[in-house]
Amino acid sequence: MQRFVILSKKDLDAFISALAQSQKVVAPVARGHNNFSFAEVSSGKEITLKYIPTILPPKKYFLPTQEIITSYNKRENALNAILEYEKMVIFGVHTCDLAGIQCLNMVFADKPKDINYIIRKNKIAIIGLECNDYCDEYASCHVVGNHLPNGGYDLFFTDLGDVFIVHINTMLGDELVNKAAVFKSADAKMLKALESLRQMKHSIFKDEVNVKHQELKPLFDRSSNSKVWEDLNKRCVACGNCTNVCPTCYCFDIIDEPNLDLNTGVRYRRWDSCQNEPFAKVAGNENFRKERSQRQRHRYMRKFKYPVDKYSRYFCTGCGRCSRTCMAQIKLKETINDLAKETQ
Amino acid sequence: MRKPKVAFFDFSSCEGCQLQVANFGEALLDILGLIDVVMFREAISEKSDDYDVAIIEGSITTSHDIERIKQIRATAKVLIAYGACATIGGINGMKNNFDLEDIKKYVYKDDAKYFESIPTHPLHQVVKVDYFVHGCPVYQPEFVKVLKCALAGLLYTVPDYAVCTECRFNENVCMYDKGITCMGPVTRAGCNSWCVNNGNICYGCRGMLSNPAQEGQMDILKKHNIALDWVQNKMNMYNKPRELDTEPPANNGHIG
Repeated sequence: MQRFVILSKKDLDAFISALAQSQKVVAPVARGHNNFSFAEVSSGKEITLKYIPTILPPKKYFLPTQEIITSYNKRENALNAILEYEKMVIFGVHTCDLAGIQCLNMVFADKPKDINYIIRKNKIAIIGLECNDYCDEYASCHVVGNHLPNGGYDLFFTDLGDVFIVHINTMLGDELVNKAAVFKSADAKMLKALESLRQMKHSIFKDEVNVKHQELKPLFDRSSNSKVWEDLNKRCVACGNCTNVCPTCYCFDIIDEPNLDLNTGVRYRRWDSCQNEPFAKVAGNENFRKERSQRQRHRYMRKFKYPVDKYSRYFCTGCGRCSRTCMAQIKLKETINDLAKETQ
Repeated sequence: MRKPKVAFFDFSSCEGCQLQVANFGEALLDILGLIDVVMFREAISEKSDDYDVAIIEGSITTSHDIERIKQIRATAKVLIAYGACATIGGINGMKNNFDLEDIKKYVYKDDAKYFESIPTHPLHQVVKVDYFVHGCPVYQPEFVKVLKCALAGLLYTVPDYAVCTECRFNENVCMYDKGITCMGPVTRAGCNSWCVNNGNICYGCRGMLSNPAQEGQMDILKKHNIALDWVQNKMNMYNKPRELDTEPPANNGHIG
């Protein structure tokens, strides 16, 4: 049976403050100029509940931008695995970002398993937050099926005016609720209100592109040689913003760095991007994806084609970050529509 | 093991990058445990012609400079170009915007005839450079990285991707969102978006990406209504001597 509880909005501050007493709590915080980021908070007052997707998605807590993975000692010929993690609660994760975390979970649990990722993930509690309406015109969450919650959280908050109705999805979520002692049971009226909100969302959220969900993959299957990529070649400046802010891009580079004694040192991994000039460059100065058109195509294929072949799932979460952050104003919705128009 | 002997040299520069070394604070003690500084005008009086590693600040602006840098190159096992003036010509490169005789007269007036001057060159246009530490001034953590690589005999690859990458890692609000023009999208990273983290724009002091997207960049300028001259001036503030490159330096951000 599904379990729901109610949190009065005025008690949110008490809930967050109490949580922050015992562990790190991160939540969306306003940064000005309509930018937001997940950052540590100590009270509910610091949180912005109505926010558009943050600059970086919550993946930064699962896969840090830079992470030491081993230390070495040349003289002793030793290599030691290093894992740094922190117990934390992420509050206010939208459904697009919940989907992003689910995608990363699939990738990093696949063979070879990424132990650092998996252990870190198991220390993170996730509290979702429903979007009752679109964040802005860049989002395309409906066409990829992420405008409604599909699991991937411990608790899930939905704003019903004066209260949040909260879905308890895991034992960890249950513990958080019991410990806080500010939640009340949800009566039939509240459940009905949640149901009518979801009904209303059906009329608000529509496919954002001229291609249906199940047609996206076939569209990309036949778009390898599209002229649309040539257009992107002219516009893209390869700043790498699109992949860095993507909730499902996970490529990293591995770098060794000696300590000052030159005998010991560390190996760390750092986010990398297929948009960067040296990404596909190898010894001899050969570059397998020298053209920005090839790199942009690769990025799109990594969202709409390759992961569908491998994991039966779109890796575009519809969050709209890549379009929002693009220096050249390359918009995902436009690209999809252009591809569709061309191959009609 | 004998500590490697390190000497600092300055050519046309403000010596501010060397000052960054003096500014290290306690970390300097750890570095000094690793090297033997035999010449460093900013901090010690000693001089020596016997050194393994030459750290060079400043750009080449006279024919005497050419002779001197060749001499240093012949002595040093490892040569590190240190700071924007040495790696890309830097501020001194602005003189290349003008006729050499005109600019001499502008600076020295009637005494111009006593001064010999050549167009500004970064070091790699004159001698082989083993390591590059970009920036105006250099970013201290990167200098330490390069120094360690130089002493351990490892390659240091300067990132050949935009400052934007590190700026996103730091979750700065994009300057363009604030309505401010920033050189980040055309400038190579490695500084951890130091300036933007502190509320400033990127001035492009680390030099341009090896393959900046000209067409796309023009598009962006148009969209933001930014005059081309204005950006060209900004870019030339540090990057003018780039025109004199016959080929990009091999380890200036390229694998190979």
